[in-house]
Amino acid sequence: MSLIHIENLSVHAGSVELLAPISLTVQKGERLTILGQTGSGKSLLAQAIMGNLPASLRTEGDVRLFDQRVNSEERQAFWGKQISMLPQEPWNSLDPLMGAKQQLAQTYHLVAGESSAQAQQSADYTLALQGLQESGHKRVDQLSGGMAQRVAIACAMAGGAPVLLADEPTKGLDVSRRDQVVDQLMTQSEQGALITITHDVAVARQIGGRMMVIKSGELLEEGNAEDILNAPQHPFTKALIDADPVNWADEIRDMRHGEPLISVQDLTIGHGKQALSKHLDFTLHQGEVVGVVGDSGCGKSTLGDTLLGVHKALGGKIERHSNAPLHQWQKLYQDPTAAVSSAVSLRTLLNDMVSLHNIDRSRIAPLMQQLGLSDDLLNRNSEGVSGGELQRFCMLRALLLDPVFLFADEPTSRLDPITQREVSQLLVDVAKQNGCAVMLVSHDPAMIHKRCDRVITL
Amino acid sequence: MLALSTTQKSGLALLVLLIAYALCAPLLQAGDATTQNLSQILTSPNADYWLGTDHFGRNMWLRLAEAMQLSLMMAALCVITSAIIGVTAGVLAATRAPWFDRVMDGIVTMILALPGLVLVLIFAAIVPGSFWMLYVAISLIQWIEYFRISRAITQRLTQSPAVQSSKLMGFGEWYIFRRHYFPAIMPPLFTIAAFGAANAILMMASLGFVYVGIQPPLAELGLMIVEHFPYYSDAPWLLAQPLAALALVVLACQLMGRGKSL
Amino acid sequence: MRQLLLKRLLQLIAVSWGVGTLTFILMRSLPGDMAYRIAASRYGMDAVDSRAADIVREELGLDQGALSAYWQWFTDLLSWNLGNSLVSGAPVSESLWHMLGHSLLLAGAGMAIALIIAIPLGLASAYWGGWLDRILLTVSTVMRAVPVFVIGLLAVIVFALEWNLFPVAGFGTPAHLVLPALTLALSLAAISNRVIHTEAKRVFGSSFYEFARMKGLSPWQAFKHHGIRNIAVPVVAFLGIQLITVVEGVVMIESLFSWPGIGHGLAHAIFARDIPLIQGAALMMGVMFVVLNTLVDIACHYLDPRGGRIA
Repeated sequence: MSLIHIENLSVHAGSVELLAPISLTVQKGERLTILGQTGSGKSLLAQAIMGNLPASLRTEGDVRLFDQRVNSEERQAFWGKQISMLPQEPWNSLDPLMGAKQQLAQTYHLVAGESSAQAQQSADYTLALQGLQESGHKRVDQLSGGMAQRVAIACAMAGGAPVLLADEPTKGLDVSRRDQVVDQLMTQSEQGALITITHDVAVARQIGGRMMVIKSGELLEEGNAEDILNAPQHPFTKALIDADPVNWADEIRDMRHGEPLISVQDLTIGHGKQALSKHLDFTLHQGEVVGVVGDSGCGKSTLGDTLLGVHKALGGKIERHSNAPLHQWQKLYQDPTAAVSSAVSLRTLLNDMVSLHNIDRSRIAPLMQQLGLSDDLLNRNSEGVSGGELQRFCMLRALLLDPVFLFADEPTSRLDPITQREVSQLLVDVAKQNGCAVMLVSHDPAMIHKRCDRVITL
Repeated sequence: MLALSTTQKSGLALLVLLIAYALCAPLLQAGDATTQNLSQILTSPNADYWLGTDHFGRNMWLRLAEAMQLSLMMAALCVITSAIIGVTAGVLAATRAPWFDRVMDGIVTMILALPGLVLVLIFAAIVPGSFWMLYVAISLIQWIEYFRISRAITQRLTQSPAVQSSKLMGFGEWYIFRRHYFPAIMPPLFTIAAFGAANAILMMASLGFVYVGIQPPLAELGLMIVEHFPYYSDAPWLLAQPLAALALVVLACQLMGRGKSL
Repeated sequence: MRQLLLKRLLQLIAVSWGVGTLTFILMRSLPGDMAYRIAASRYGMDAVDSRAADIVREELGLDQGALSAYWQWFTDLLSWNLGNSLVSGAPVSESLWHMLGHSLLLAGAGMAIALIIAIPLGLASAYWGGWLDRILLTVSTVMRAVPVFVIGLLAVIVFALEWNLFPVAGFGTPAHLVLPALTLALSLAAISNRVIHTEAKRVFGSSFYEFARMKGLSPWQAFKHHGIRNIAVPVVAFLGIQLITVVEGVVMIESLFSWPGIGHGLAHAIFARDIPLIQGAALMMGVMFVVLNTLVDIACHYLDPRGGRIA
């Protein structure tokens, strides 16, 4: 018996086809992974299977659940009990006013039909199983992202649905948390079926099973996950796999560094009275690329602000060996759209800076060419360009100031994998050429390993 | 910088029309708003009196224009004054020493302790019938809204990457205000200004209506409504005129300030 | 929470000080012999002579410098010695309690009717949208553009003068309450139905509401367990903001319908330049306003465990 069988399912907005006809079958005990970049229509597929597409979208084709042909309204009766979908952003998917345990117990009570007392017990048991026994009374604003994710998965499974759809279940999670979530999904799916939708090649590799690759609403290839990942047929699949930092080429780097630039001794960083990291000792040299890793909340961004003098150190000593003026100590931000004013065109912003520091205008064009920025891009404002383009614009501004030190705070984490590789490569190359020291922050150890000369772990 | 929606544009068009009437109406008909003509009372609109006459035989076309001038002037003065004071204080409170912020917060808490209309009523009692006292009282209440929103936005932005980045690049405070704070404050400022204008007009009409605002024989919308009420069955158009004028000018302002959902 | 209550206490003090100071300025700026008028109000017109006025002058410190008079004024205020009305001669504090009852009745009835109108309409327009939403939006917009006394005036013309269903003005029977309360309710509901609409729409469209359905709750279960409270939090917080509309509405409506509440008293006192009554009525409105605000704070605190209202 197939749990899910869809035939020529397509999604349209008016006359525009958002998802080309696609067919798939999932048997009991099977794992299916759908791989594609953001905006490739894979979330639409999940919603079309569940039957919760926005009213403005129209579907065509057949959906059979548990060997019954059901239209999207009839599918609502299957929710929770037969088929369940994991939310993309768990911190937005839990009731903000209700404790974790209460939400979980409620599902056991109302969906699985257990008595109140039984439901409380089940909730306690499940939370304990996830290592959350201490956090049952906490609301979502008191849980960490990883904890919220585990609670959400538990809630989605509490109704006892054998089929689980997980749409980007690891979005925004650290690597260690990501592995936990994948483990949990694998365990939960042993009795039923799991459909995972992801852009993360590493997740696809961990889950295994069958795999489909989707680009702009079209199916590119389909088959055994291992086969596709090891020998991709379609060029897009290849590019996607190559973009995973693990598969980046190792290169021979110029490890010669210049004079010491800044050194810290027994540095303590944090906010107010709360120290985030203690006893830091290191020295940065000119032209050196140093990676900074650590779990979220360990003070990676605070370290940058402290080194740049924006934030006060809680203890210890920071010594700058260079007397370069303040504006040559620069920073790149995780979210470039938050770091650039959208009030005026990029050209105006660039001109503001050029005239403030009397920068030689003839340097702009070659640098722009190197960064792959076209001149007409400057006529738009920050909302009119892509995240990758904007991040390169930020690099342009920073590099025009001849920085001696550049703190790059997850500069590529909001970019899609292919752009991520380009931008991080560019950053390291250009910095090396100009003898600028770079501190590169990332939650992805693989990327740090490929890009940096050495690593500081917080 | 400000893209207006269709609703906002229709509000703006209506407002321009009303301003044009208030300014140009006296040019089109001779006479003035206060001359009484007791042989011509409660006439319905005709070729001589385009909007008829009131119970003292005064020309309604001119009286209504005078009342509109007064209302619009009050609205404009209150909006400009309170916007300038509110935004300046708000940005300073968010960017200067914490004690300044606390002092401002205390002042705001004090003013907000009394409902606006009650405060305006007491001010109106001190100098009865004074336009300028009403202006001071209404502005005293309205600057708070501008203050709060500019303070909140500025406070959020001072911590933002964009402002930090500009500071690291060596830009000064005035630049940061011009490029970061002001563009972010501008859209809500526009909404508050539009609703503030509507409220100022309503406030003045309310005071006129309970007889403690602008004093007769000056034409004021709220005052006209009470004055005309006794004649509602003999001369319904007379009561309808200030009612419609008041509703239209308030509607124009509210449409202009309207966001998407409310 | 404690900080909020402290802030409200500060506001109470601010109200007393503000109202006291303003009425003091008002008194000092009045033309004519203040002492004579106050004496007349105390002892009756017939009993007044210049000796009585002198006694009052001494007692109220009108012969003193401004500063000590100001001090005297405050000691009286703090001991709730509000004096007598200049018009009726009755003690101000006594008539205030009388007026307060009437104002609270009007405000309570108005708010109750407003909620009965606004909650179903707001929720329904958020759930179904479409023409219902568009009609409500138009009606609400028009109602908001019309000041509350105009709504009242139209209600009087239609229900009292044309159809003779309810009395024009006054008080005493339940029929007298209908038009004033309805007027207040309509002006409140015009705004609050849109707030409820917006908040309900936000909740219905939120990820957590969708997830509640996804994990297997029926539409009613999702609404009952995850809808009501999440909609209520911002709506109750908004009630706090709307209290201004309530108080201002009460002032206007009482004046229009001659409803003997505090607003009516205040407007009349200002018109008659009855300073002790102005002070008393304004003070009472301010205190009522702060107390109601505190109640909203407390309600928010219990509804939203994340800590207080954002507004």
